Amino acid sequence: MIFLKRQLPLVITFVMGVAFTLQYYIPHPVSEEAITNVSKWMQIISGFALFLGLASLFHVHAVKIKRQVPGWGYSFALYAGMLGMIAVGFWSHGETRVDGAQTGFGWLYDYTMVPLQGTMFSILAFFIASAAYRAFRARSREASVLLASAVIVMMGRVPLGQFLIPWTWDVTQWLLNVLNSAVRRAILIGVSMGAVALSLKIILGIERSYLGGGRDQ
Amino acid sequence: MPGLTTATILGAWVAAGLTLFIYSFLYKDNPLFKLGEHLYVGISVGYSVVLVWHTVFLRLLWEPLRKSVSEAPALLESYILLIPAILGVLMLVRFIPRIAWLSRIAFAFVVGFGSGVAIPRTVSALILKQIEDTVNPLITMGANGLSMGLDLASPQSGVNTIILLIGVVSVLFYFFFSVEHTGPGMVTARTGVYFVMIAFGAAFGYTVMSRMSLLIGRFSDLIKFSGAEYGYATLILLAVTVLTLIGWEALVRQKRQEV
Amino acid sequence: MKEFARRMVGIDRRLIFLLIAGAVLLPLVKPFGLPIKVSPEVKAVYDYIEALPERSVFLLSFDFDPSSKPELEPQAVALLRHAFRKNLRVMGMTHWLTGTGLADGVFSKVAAEMGKERGKDYVFLGWSPGGGSLIISMGQDLYKAFPSDYSKIPTRGMPVLEGVRNLRDVDYMISLAAGSSGIEMWYVFGKDKYRFEMAGGSTGVIAPGLYPFLRSGQINGLIGGLQGAAEYETLITQKGTVTAGMDAQSAAHFVIISLVLLCNVFYFMLREEKGRPS
Repeated sequence: MIFLKRQLPLVITFVMGVAFTLQYYIPHPVSEEAITNVSKWMQIISGFALFLGLASLFHVHAVKIKRQVPGWGYSFALYAGMLGMIAVGFWSHGETRVDGAQTGFGWLYDYTMVPLQGTMFSILAFFIASAAYRAFRARSREASVLLASAVIVMMGRVPLGQFLIPWTWDVTQWLLNVLNSAVRRAILIGVSMGAVALSLKIILGIERSYLGGGRDQ
Repeated sequence: MPGLTTATILGAWVAAGLTLFIYSFLYKDNPLFKLGEHLYVGISVGYSVVLVWHTVFLRLLWEPLRKSVSEAPALLESYILLIPAILGVLMLVRFIPRIAWLSRIAFAFVVGFGSGVAIPRTVSALILKQIEDTVNPLITMGANGLSMGLDLASPQSGVNTIILLIGVVSVLFYFFFSVEHTGPGMVTARTGVYFVMIAFGAAFGYTVMSRMSLLIGRFSDLIKFSGAEYGYATLILLAVTVLTLIGWEALVRQKRQEV
Repeated sequence: MKEFARRMVGIDRRLIFLLIAGAVLLPLVKPFGLPIKVSPEVKAVYDYIEALPERSVFLLSFDFDPSSKPELEPQAVALLRHAFRKNLRVMGMTHWLTGTGLADGVFSKVAAEMGKERGKDYVFLGWSPGGGSLIISMGQDLYKAFPSDYSKIPTRGMPVLEGVRNLRDVDYMISLAAGSSGIEMWYVFGKDKYRFEMAGGSTGVIAPGLYPFLRSGQINGLIGGLQGAAEYETLITQKGTVTAGMDAQSAAHFVIISLVLLCNVFYFMLREEKGRPS
């Protein structure tokens, strides 16, 4: 039983990891067939994994309503939105458009989901302005460099800036293609090396947090 | 605008209303915003459930499985899609404490595959290819013999390649904390810091541009919905929202005074 | 003066919100129409599509959701108009679940405008989970990855997909990305092995991080943010709403720059005061 609970998952991880690392270098038809099938399986399994997150959210708000914590009425609104969308979605067979005509599901998507999601993120524009006013100060040489770079890019990437001070466009291009690229490249190389190291640790069973906690681990 | 349908006009009112509910947060956290926020989560989850069901269960699993089994029921290969189906179900048993350990098998399968495919592809695409471009030749042979590009405006010129190389090395060194940054190391690290500040400044500029664009998009819709063809939806709902907030603020102050 | 600086530093942020709202609203209502300068990275995308022969296979991946609609939808519309004008065979798909309806809407709208037929001139494959696994699956066998399109029509035998078995048969690919499930993922799991040419369209937030890929030639062009969309609209000489939006963008940037400079002026005034001996 211990083998099934503790060792078997590690063996599976090791076998899958090594097999599909080597697969990249083996152009044999059997190898290609393997990756074709398994990558298709991953699509299906990822779909089931999505349900994990959805079920968790469902549970959190069900508890809120059950315990009647302050603000539990809003959880009702959440459920109403969710169940309404599900009902209309299944009624429309999951389609937003049929022969060019919008379905009920499409209507809900276009007039509730799109404005809500768009507005949620657009509100950040106000906070970025307020934060810039309060906190963006040239306290040190490094902060001054950051400030200067930000101002040049903000000028250089809009028509008015390009019109009033033409050199900001050229400097912005150079800044992005050379200086910014250098930094981003260094970060990319570093992060990628870290990702490869983590993948190796997972395959070799050194890193086991993906299995979840518990006495069996 | 030629004949807008009732559904479109109603949709415009709903969209404008929900947009203004969310923007009411700019005044302060209030019931209208909370309602909009919870609706947003619920509607997103509902949409996800419908799409996952139709795409994963019906389109990717049920229909191909039904087709292969009906065409060749005796063939073992026809049932191959049962493997990901079983693994998917194993993932879901995580919610049943007594058999939750079975979900580890599914996770091991997925994580093992993900780690395995990632290693060679990451090394090739994100490490080797990036290093390759960093160590470009500085001097090239052209029609006029050997030359080194000194044009700052051309990203691939020799002088820019040198700057790029200095930048990459100094930033990599700055983030390498296993060695003390003293002497020449300190000069390299400080150079890296200045490169990083310039890049983050550019990132800030672009982030401002991006967020403002999102605001422009929403405001464009609100302006569109304020027209006569939509029944002045934005203007009327803006008045309703403001009045609601005034009423709510008065109620809250009254309750505070009573306490 | 110092008192004024102190009051200005502690100003109610809602006044700043009103300032930003005004800066964005006024140019949208009354645009001033400044010319848009085209950057080399956007021109590179345009030139590549312009040079593609008719009926070439063009894959457009809508890797964004409604939160990035104002930046990436205009890019999608401009690219689709260009692709349809060049009579390319267009394949659409998305990695982002909540962006599926948006992508389908854009396809339907632009295709109807350009007189294109679903199944014959374009196909919208829809969403499928998996991320990198999906790309590998498409690279191996497109019909296994997408047995049917978003409208549930079987993909095998579709006229628009004639001769297309997998990603190796794609002539050009653009990922319109709002985050990590986008351009980088398409390169790492797609172009690296299956060798199709690709470019990127992105939000302003992730655009600076993609310049290393542009420099190394891993992507042959980059359309960054709303500015990039405006530049592309200028190139295809079809003005959309984006060009007007750039005026609002200009105004908003100038307000932010003024706020940042002002805050520093007040900060230095107050710092001087703190530095004086009592």
